[in-house]
Amino acid sequence: MASNKTFTSPALSFELVARCSVTRARASILTLPHGSVNLPIFMPVATQASLKGLTPEQLEATGCRLCLNNTYHLGLKPGQEVLDAVGGAHKLQGWNRNILTDSGGFQMVSLLKLANITEEGVRFLSPHDGSPMLLTPEHSMSLQNSIGSDIMMQLDDVIVTTSPDKARMREAMERSVRWLDRCIAAHKNPHTQNLFCIIQGGLDLDMRRECCREMLARDTPGIAIGGLSGGEAKDDFCRVVAACTELLPDLKPRYVMGIGYPEDLIVSVALGADMFDCVWPTRTARFGNAITKHGVLNMKREMYAADFGPIEDGCGCPCCRPIEEEGAMGITRAFVHHNAAKETVAAHLLTLHNVWYQLDLMRGAREAIIEDRFPGFVRGFFGNLYPDRNYPSWAVDALKGVGIDLLES
Amino acid sequence: MTADTQNSDSAAMRFEILKGALKDGVAARVGRLAFAGRQPMETPNFIATTSRGAIPHITPDNVNKHLQTAGAYMALEDFIERPQQYAKRTPPIYEAPTTTKHTTRLHRFTAMPQSVTTVLAARRIPAVPSPMGNTNASISVFTSTGFQVLTTKEYLSAVEALTPDIAIPLADLTHSTITPNSKRALRMAERTDEWMVEWFSSLSESTSPPRTSTFAPVLPISYSIQWEYISRLAEDYLPTGQLSGLAIYDPDLLPDLAEHCPDLLPLPRLSLSNPPTPHHILRQIALGVDVFALPFINALSDAGLALSFSFPPPASSLSPPPPSSSSSSETGTEGERTTNKLLPLAIDLSHPSHATSLAPLSPGCTCYACTAHHRAFVHHLLAAREMLGWMLLQVHNHAVVSSFFAGVRAALLNDGEPTFDDAARRFALAYEPDFPEGAAERPRARGYQYKSVGGGEPKRNKPAWGKLEGEEGTKSDESEQVGEKSVGA
Repeated sequence: MASNKTFTSPALSFELVARCSVTRARASILTLPHGSVNLPIFMPVATQASLKGLTPEQLEATGCRLCLNNTYHLGLKPGQEVLDAVGGAHKLQGWNRNILTDSGGFQMVSLLKLANITEEGVRFLSPHDGSPMLLTPEHSMSLQNSIGSDIMMQLDDVIVTTSPDKARMREAMERSVRWLDRCIAAHKNPHTQNLFCIIQGGLDLDMRRECCREMLARDTPGIAIGGLSGGEAKDDFCRVVAACTELLPDLKPRYVMGIGYPEDLIVSVALGADMFDCVWPTRTARFGNAITKHGVLNMKREMYAADFGPIEDGCGCPCCRPIEEEGAMGITRAFVHHNAAKETVAAHLLTLHNVWYQLDLMRGAREAIIEDRFPGFVRGFFGNLYPDRNYPSWAVDALKGVGIDLLES
Repeated sequence: MTADTQNSDSAAMRFEILKGALKDGVAARVGRLAFAGRQPMETPNFIATTSRGAIPHITPDNVNKHLQTAGAYMALEDFIERPQQYAKRTPPIYEAPTTTKHTTRLHRFTAMPQSVTTVLAARRIPAVPSPMGNTNASISVFTSTGFQVLTTKEYLSAVEALTPDIAIPLADLTHSTITPNSKRALRMAERTDEWMVEWFSSLSESTSPPRTSTFAPVLPISYSIQWEYISRLAEDYLPTGQLSGLAIYDPDLLPDLAEHCPDLLPLPRLSLSNPPTPHHILRQIALGVDVFALPFINALSDAGLALSFSFPPPASSLSPPPPSSSSSSETGTEGERTTNKLLPLAIDLSHPSHATSLAPLSPGCTCYACTAHHRAFVHHLLAAREMLGWMLLQVHNHAVVSSFFAGVRAALLNDGEPTFDDAARRFALAYEPDFPEGAAERPRARGYQYKSVGGGEPKRNKPAWGKLEGEEGTKSDESEQVGEKSVGA
């Protein structure tokens, strides 16, 4: 029965396509105002309405149908007035697919000195003139409404998960719930934009569970797990994701914020998460690093200077795909080495490759889930990455918890 | 019938003059320059200028899709650096294997689309002047790891290995703005002459018909000093078919050339003189240049400028332009009313007046940047220093120059009124003499492009980082320091 597998809300529908028979991994279709996207998905981050040198056309050709913009950056440049005048971020950047925006709160904390969080909102000093400014849940919603993102995130009270201050952690979690209520009240376009809640609670599983219950009661169309990827141990990260996905409803998308290393993605998918974002793949590209199934290769190393193979053998991206194929560029490692950190073109090429890698990894995982061979896919993935089978213990433990034994031969 | 209505053919190249000069001597002409396996080029036309084998900011897939550029200028000095730890290595480009899609090493290494005609010369344009000077058997080049010596032999073997479609043999150039004294000028001519003899005798040793066409340099010194060298070209190498074209460093020599060596008239002429504006281009076309390498396009894109000129100029060019497309109105003072009536050659997209403009970069332009995006986006990208801004400007600026040349060719082919001369005169009256400065921050300066000469140049970009509590300017990003970083030699 379709209704048992589909969830619909005014600006979103979520269809569960398949479930792994061993792990908690799921394959689904998320339909948003700018088209449908296949989950699980990695979302590249176009911080300032541009994916680091790629045209929207090139980004779309990688298969990307949902990317991120950062509310904080767009609020500064071009600013809310311009966004309103232009008609939103889709129109600004010529991107007719989906956009997800964060709340702006994370950048306040990560980028700014003297950010001060009160019940009212986040107080910080303007990076323009140093004058005191205040970001409230209402202001964040108003900015995201101007951006017109397909998925908006609530403003949350973020503190580092490793903070030992339990009372502060509880305060942050409870305040995030209160701020969600204010966000829901302030959201002007619930019929065209989706607002996702963010589960907080640090590394305390009970607090996370409590937060889940509170947030679920608000019935947002999608759910994010926040506050992670801030330097906590990977074991802790996996425990939190597992504890949350256990409580979350089947028929809503689950987004783990700030995750991007391929191992993290695969483990998180096994733990039942659907959506991920991270600047790492595109940032590391600009540092001359290529992500491959055998690990990260630094193209600036002399060993690639006369290497005329593709960035990664067997990769289907426009840089690497066999030269006979349509749209293939015939890029060699030697050319990337030649221009890495010298010409922007090398950064663009590696960005293209890395985004393709991440999206293709999720495509592969999705196919494996649908064909119910996901555990084999996970083993193959880790086998490629660690040919000596020296797997990281956090991954072994986390996967064991959902029924995959990496060490079993 | 004049001499330049003949055609010039060689094994790999064909240059047809479709419409020659109507009067004797050098003048504008229309032609078609074609190389085996490449997209033919209608002339007058231009080629893109690469940096380290790439058209700046444009990936090869977009060169194919969004640039109408039929040729690319490449400098050998961009490929032969010797990293300190690997000083003995063979430059990797010499080992690049060819494929069915990239049939020369140069195309293969740079992933330049196969349809693009490649031009190989020793030095970038504009070239960084070398403090070391040239010797009787070598020139000094500037690589990303510093100055190094390039011998005539090395250059010859590079050309043989890379098989560019056009090769410019070494010339003894100073790359300085100061005119060489007559003694130096004489030596330039003598050395270049000797090098040319060596070049052609070496090339004739290789048995197979050469795939590379030689465009001999014409030096930027007076004809009377280099006449012996030029007559040798006409008498010894033209009849053998070894000489395929001329690389012109000073187009003002073309009338002398026509007068004294009419045999050279059928050869295609490539201008490497770095004309700074379209006004200069039109003047050089009138003197008889066929193909231009135009480094200013890359520089203007980096400066946040969108080219806005067309040829012939719009009919209503004497009425003031709409406020949004005028860059002079924001810089011009009340006293400069007359210049305000001139059309700008380019629009500074960093100006706040474009912040919410959904207009194309220039009206009626059909390039990717103008059809898929708008001024507001490029303005935002420049303000945010996002690399896509420079990419979109490159696409647009190459498209504008491309249609400028199409307009020039149409005017030259037009037998009735208005003539090319009329249109060129109107162009000079309609447009401002220079490009605007461009207030946007530039991409990070890369060491091999610039070299501090004398030092003390101001920094173009704001320092990316300052001291924590404000003392701005005391500490700055080293990489912004023009040129200093990678000068090793």
